Amino acid sequence: MGVLQKSKPARYSAVGLVRRGLRGDTWPRVWREVPLKKSYDVVIIGGGVHGLATAYYLATNHGITDVAVLDKAYLGSGGSGRNTAIVRSNYLTPEGVAFYDRSLQLYKTMAADLNMNVMFSERGHMTLAHTDGALRTMHWRAEVNKLQNINSSVIDPAEVKKLAPSLDTSSHPRYPILGALYHPPGGTIRHDAVVWGYARGADARGVEMHQKTEVLDITVEGGSGPDGKGPGGTVTGVRTSKGDISAPIVVNCTAGWATLISDMAGVRLPISTRPLQAAVTEPVKVFLPTVVVSGSLHVYVSQTDRGELVFGASVDPFNNYSVRGSLDFTEELASHVLELMPGISRMRLLRQWAGLCDMTPDYSPVMGFTPVQGFLCDVGWGTYGFKAGPVSGEQMAYCIATNETPELISAFNLSRFAAGELVGEKGAAAVGH
Amino acid sequence: MTRRLPAQAGEVINRSTPLSFKWDGGNLSAFEGDTIASALLANDKRIVSRSMKYHRPRGYLTADFWDPNGFVQVGDDPNVRSGHRLVENGMTIDPQNVWPSLDYDMKAANGLVGRFLTAGFYYKTFIKPQAMWPVYEKVLARFAPGGTVDLDTPHGYHDKRYAHPDVVVAGGGPAGMAAAISAASLGARVMLVEHEHALGGHLRWGNAEDRRLLDELRGKVEGAGVEILTNSTVTGRYEDNWTAIVQRSHPIAVERLIKARAKVLVVAPGLIERPYVFTGNDKPGVMLSGAVRRLINMYAVKPGERAVVFTGNADGDAAIVDLERVGVTVARVVDARQGENIVVAKGGAKALDSVELSDGSVIEADLLVTAVGWTAPTSLLNMAGDRPVYHAGSARFYPSAEIHNVLATGGIAGDGDADQLLAHAEATGRLAANRAAAVAHRVQDLTARALPVQGPEPTWPEDDRQSLPRDSHPALFRSTTHGIVDYSEDVDSKDLVAAAKEGYDSVELLKRYTTATMGPSQGKLETVNTVAVLAEARGETIQEVGTTVWRPPYAPITLGALGGRVFEPVRVSSIQSWHEANGATPILAGAWVRPDHYGDPAAEVTNTRTNVGIIDVTPLGKLDLQGPDVPKLLNHLYTNKWSQLPVGSVRYGIMCAEDGVVLDDGVTGRLSDNRYLMTTTSSGAATIWEWAENWLQTEHPDWQVHVTPVTSGFTSINVAGPKSRALVSRLVDNVDLGPDAFDYMQVRSGTVAGVPNCFMWRIGFTGELSFELHVPSGHGLHVWTALLEMGNDLGVKPFGLEAQRIMRLEKGHFIVGQDTDGLTKAPSLGMNGLIKLDKDDFAGKPELAWAMEQSLPSLVAIQTTDPAEVPTEASQIVRAGTNEILGRITSSRMSPTLDRSICLGQVLPEAAPAGTELTIVMIDGRRITARVMEHQAHFDPEGQRLRG
Repeated sequence: MGVLQKSKPARYSAVGLVRRGLRGDTWPRVWREVPLKKSYDVVIIGGGVHGLATAYYLATNHGITDVAVLDKAYLGSGGSGRNTAIVRSNYLTPEGVAFYDRSLQLYKTMAADLNMNVMFSERGHMTLAHTDGALRTMHWRAEVNKLQNINSSVIDPAEVKKLAPSLDTSSHPRYPILGALYHPPGGTIRHDAVVWGYARGADARGVEMHQKTEVLDITVEGGSGPDGKGPGGTVTGVRTSKGDISAPIVVNCTAGWATLISDMAGVRLPISTRPLQAAVTEPVKVFLPTVVVSGSLHVYVSQTDRGELVFGASVDPFNNYSVRGSLDFTEELASHVLELMPGISRMRLLRQWAGLCDMTPDYSPVMGFTPVQGFLCDVGWGTYGFKAGPVSGEQMAYCIATNETPELISAFNLSRFAAGELVGEKGAAAVGH
Repeated sequence: MTRRLPAQAGEVINRSTPLSFKWDGGNLSAFEGDTIASALLANDKRIVSRSMKYHRPRGYLTADFWDPNGFVQVGDDPNVRSGHRLVENGMTIDPQNVWPSLDYDMKAANGLVGRFLTAGFYYKTFIKPQAMWPVYEKVLARFAPGGTVDLDTPHGYHDKRYAHPDVVVAGGGPAGMAAAISAASLGARVMLVEHEHALGGHLRWGNAEDRRLLDELRGKVEGAGVEILTNSTVTGRYEDNWTAIVQRSHPIAVERLIKARAKVLVVAPGLIERPYVFTGNDKPGVMLSGAVRRLINMYAVKPGERAVVFTGNADGDAAIVDLERVGVTVARVVDARQGENIVVAKGGAKALDSVELSDGSVIEADLLVTAVGWTAPTSLLNMAGDRPVYHAGSARFYPSAEIHNVLATGGIAGDGDADQLLAHAEATGRLAANRAAAVAHRVQDLTARALPVQGPEPTWPEDDRQSLPRDSHPALFRSTTHGIVDYSEDVDSKDLVAAAKEGYDSVELLKRYTTATMGPSQGKLETVNTVAVLAEARGETIQEVGTTVWRPPYAPITLGALGGRVFEPVRVSSIQSWHEANGATPILAGAWVRPDHYGDPAAEVTNTRTNVGIIDVTPLGKLDLQGPDVPKLLNHLYTNKWSQLPVGSVRYGIMCAEDGVVLDDGVTGRLSDNRYLMTTTSSGAATIWEWAENWLQTEHPDWQVHVTPVTSGFTSINVAGPKSRALVSRLVDNVDLGPDAFDYMQVRSGTVAGVPNCFMWRIGFTGELSFELHVPSGHGLHVWTALLEMGNDLGVKPFGLEAQRIMRLEKGHFIVGQDTDGLTKAPSLGMNGLIKLDKDDFAGKPELAWAMEQSLPSLVAIQTTDPAEVPTEASQIVRAGTNEILGRITSSRMSPTLDRSICLGQVLPEAAPAGTELTIVMIDGRRITARVMEHQAHFDPEGQRLRG
């Protein structure tokens, strides 16, 4: 192992801000720019929250610091910077609840852990029910959550109105609000800060971040497929746009591009890539204090501290790698939002965008080992990857460091698709947020 | 004091129509044609807003749509662009983001600590104690910029329009007008879309020669048969030139969305003047040359008394002429082309008083005009896949790629004199018209394959336009001092440099970290300066740094316009008026409103089980299947066998998706040799139609089957109860209803209450002797009322959805989507006899073959130990003494027939055997016991009643 040039982390604090403000000093780099080495103990493909969290926990929890995180664009350029930054743990299955609850716990202490304010706003999360069927599903989730000690309950329209006065809770002809699943610990977070915080924390412990470094191929030996790839093989490294790297461990954290990267190792994944669109309005004075989700109307909305309404929807109904938005999306979004909040018709849509979601058949991820030795996956995150970032990183780091699959993610192994042991999150298929 | 000038030759205000309006509580006057900005400036109101972070007083910078300082509240309309919105008589206009007032803003204290509030400061503080962040957050949220939403704002009228023009021209300046004229002269149908209130672009604030050209072009374009849309913006270009146009000038709609499928889009938006970065550049009194010229020439407003003009181009020079003409003293011209520069704009917080130059001199002035170059608004081209390329010689970005159906002209494409620009625009219009014709031919060819091809395909018109020259222009982005780069986000160049040094040194990271370019104008004024400052900090060229990606919409669009009329239809049956008149409590079921009950669902159950009841089941999905291959389709969709179904018979079946999960269930009857009627669940009607079509169109196009959805074509009424035969026989005269002639699970067609062509089958969800009548929907109400009249002595009563749900639960019939979920496979239903694995391939077969071997959760009937306890649906079933989940209650009701609580539930295999004692966690946390029953039906498990 070469000598690691560790950067000196500068503590972020109000005192530091004042001191540097007075002196006119700037802050040190949040992560270093260093040349790519020829080999690493671990190469992580994908510089989003999953890849960076994995690197961070490898370094902090396991002392593994000879790690490179590669991204073909800039850190957080994929789903980590395109999601609507909602976090919650009121999932349907015990596996899901335990997993996402751990993530929520990590988010809660993240600011202090990473010494970076990630602006976790525990503002509550409300999933509206417009039909008695939906209300039944809300009860189902609430009852499972209660058994797992998750703060989650079904509330009536009057309580909904109290929490979000902008919602139309009148006896609306088409989409009446019959109640909601209310989850007080849910909320929003500044997604970019999470990315930067992990990158900064990992950097301080010696991990290298390499942006604009695209992986062109993964080298595998001894596998049953062409070029020695595929099941039974052992990974030896990656070829990148900035040179070849040898590494005994390669981790795929590439979300929408997961199958393209996995194919390079000869590992087939039951994943399809679909765009998920989102949009934001111009800022107005804050009037919406909670996160509001409507499954029937395929929309979720929250208001940032800057006053913008952030909207998301369900994934597009076809496979696609394009991140251009569509007009139909904004039209449908607006009409649905106005069903919920008729008073905001004069607010203006400022910007729309799309991200790529790696969808699995059972709405649950693929995590851990693959049939190629040394090639691990943390993919299949669909529309719920951001909220799982911290716990995924923690568990993947454990996986890599101990060569064992931790209990918390054992249900998410790739072999479940062959064994028919799918995870039940699809049970209450609805809009994911 | 008024700053209104005497009449100007090109003014757009109508002095014969004075208006009055309220600004910040006071009364002011204006003329028709004034924008809010020109009216405020004419009234000498130079401060219009406070900046977002430091709450610094701000005045107009560009005095047009994109002015970052000009956002105001007009009544219930927040974030109104005051540089664009015209004054209306009696308008109430207020400043935004001020507290307590525009003049004395307490939050301006932030400015005192500005050097600590560097970009991204919030990431570095409020970290500890963690518990305090919610408190800080609430305080920060009060600093949110923008106006106020009045939550009682009515939705207003918003229709939408579809258009299919040959050519859409985005931009009605000289180039856009010339392009539109030449395209129209070749016969193309052209829509010319102008962002401003009138055509003309920069000619509107130009000199006499500009005005002459404007009159000429306007005259021609108005006579050219072009559809002209002013105060309208092309906000987005999507796949295949699906073009979004927001029309703000519609006489009725607040804003209207026009969706145009343009065969060719011509992009001619002109150029947007760029601000200059230097210390003090956001002081009221610093303006761009375009703003000054618009104010003087269009609105007859004197922008100041004593000016310094910093110019690097002809527009700056023209501003000097305009200023001097109207009596503004031009104290000093600072010519960038001579290497001169401005360094600091000085003065108090609220006004400029002098300008410091690079030679050290300080010139007194209340107006500083800058003319440092332009940004090409390439958004629409970006949306078509183009990435702009920087040209150092002329210090701006240009479109790079050739896109076959998106053409650029005018300032965005290059410079040149008026003749050169008009020639380019005319050539672009011709090319657009010719390409539109070629596209039309292709479309025709694609849609009319069956017809003989008419002549050879025309050759694709090549781009033979002579490209425009690019005039040299000094690279003027930032002076030697630091200043505001993003006015609406209050981000200055020092922030950007500091952020780049911290490692946020790609343009996307910089944007996300500092929020530069993320404000309401989405970088139209700020992006290039941001890129230039970053390039300087990194020691790279502007091209190396590149720009961020412009995304739709080009100009913000109201949710009202996008949402349109918010038209979500509710479906009702032809009997709905009767239901409403007879006290039905409505319930929303999918897209349908139907009667939940008529007052007492338990009584409705009892009457149906004792006498006879009728229920409106029109929402049942109905598909008319015709053709010789219908049995093949049925065999493929259902898990059971359909080849041998005789004419006149009905069969029940379950449908599964490819993963073996239950998709739907229902009955299909064979009406004649080649005709079948399929019913689906109410909620599955659309899904199953698509599912059938999907298989037919993608996998089995050779099958001869027509699928026609007829759900609304029939009104469906189920007549159920021991006296149902007696009732139905009074209305039907040509069908033998006797038990031997018309058996259970049979279908007949005949006349009901005088209505011919009705179908009836003996099937029902309630478990009673039942006749389901499908009546042509125009006669539904007639048959319904006839049943009630004819069955009065039999005790006939209507029953609603709730009574039906109770009765089906008594019978143990499951509801797809309630008793099943997104993972419930067919073998969990206890009906394995209906899964025929010896059949040829069918949807879900491979997965079901596997699933039949597994131990899956089971759907079972459950009764609580205490007959009075009705667990809420979704209550969890757990292992006694633990929180380990073994299943859940999927349906539960109090049964009026059995006078006890009854349930259906899904349980793990270990808890499925009959007699198993279960623990149910009630919604209030209590735990009660229950027992798994032997039969899924709580009532009449042998089905004696329905066969009667």
